[in-house]
Amino acid sequence: MAIKSKRYEEARLEASTNLELYWWVFMRISGVVLVFMLIGHMWMNAVLMDLNKIDYDYVAKRLSQTTWKVYDWLILALGLLHGANGLRYVLDDWVRNPSRRFWTKVVVYGLIGFLFFLGSLSLFNHDFGVK
Amino acid sequence: MYRGREGQWAFYLHRISGLGIVVFLMLHVANISSAMWGPEVSNALMKFYHQPVFQLGLLALVAGVLYHGFNGLRIILMDFTSWGVRYQRQLWYGVWVLFVVFYLPFLIRIGGNILGGGHGD
Repeated sequence: MAIKSKRYEEARLEASTNLELYWWVFMRISGVVLVFMLIGHMWMNAVLMDLNKIDYDYVAKRLSQTTWKVYDWLILALGLLHGANGLRYVLDDWVRNPSRRFWTKVVVYGLIGFLFFLGSLSLFNHDFGVK
Repeated sequence: MYRGREGQWAFYLHRISGLGIVVFLMLHVANISSAMWGPEVSNALMKFYHQPVFQLGLLALVAGVLYHGFNGLRIILMDFTSWGVRYQRQLWYGVWVLFVVFYLPFLIRIGGNILGGGHGD
């Protein structure tokens, strides 16, 4: 079960397995990193840039640069993992029927895995053709 | 356990914003990845998402990310400091101060776009 404690010492006692404790710690670490990366990401693309002017050329130009490939991939990986584990907490809380909970998780994890694959391909395996 | 009041609201808003963000993230990854299928496919999708209704969605998304992020920092302070839980309510008000400061530029920029009618292409 997900950890409900609000203090690290209590969380350690409550964790049923080490894995559950690692997820609890991961949510905090990835969370801090994501706050700063996402504020930067939104600032660059929604305040400095006019959202309505974003098109293929703009995306291709950005994603041709290694800096933004790495930056965006970190957000992709941390965001999807943080989101997947967050969804796991929510499903454990809200879907009471065990078999329905299991199949919902299968669909959710499958979708997230597919999007991670798709996003990684577009960042590292696609030539946008911009010098 | 929270008994109603601020802490309970903080929790519900954290959960709802988290759900909203993860749904957006999935659509967003699919949208940007469509660049692999070339400019025609990609531009058609982007034009679709430039409709005013999605701009409103983005305003809600930015609000969700800022709240979830700052409230997440509050949770971390509660977890790892000796005083965090005692001052959780004050910290929550702090979350809203940060929220307003950071949200204003986005509100002006994106809101101005919606009102200015500069959507489409």
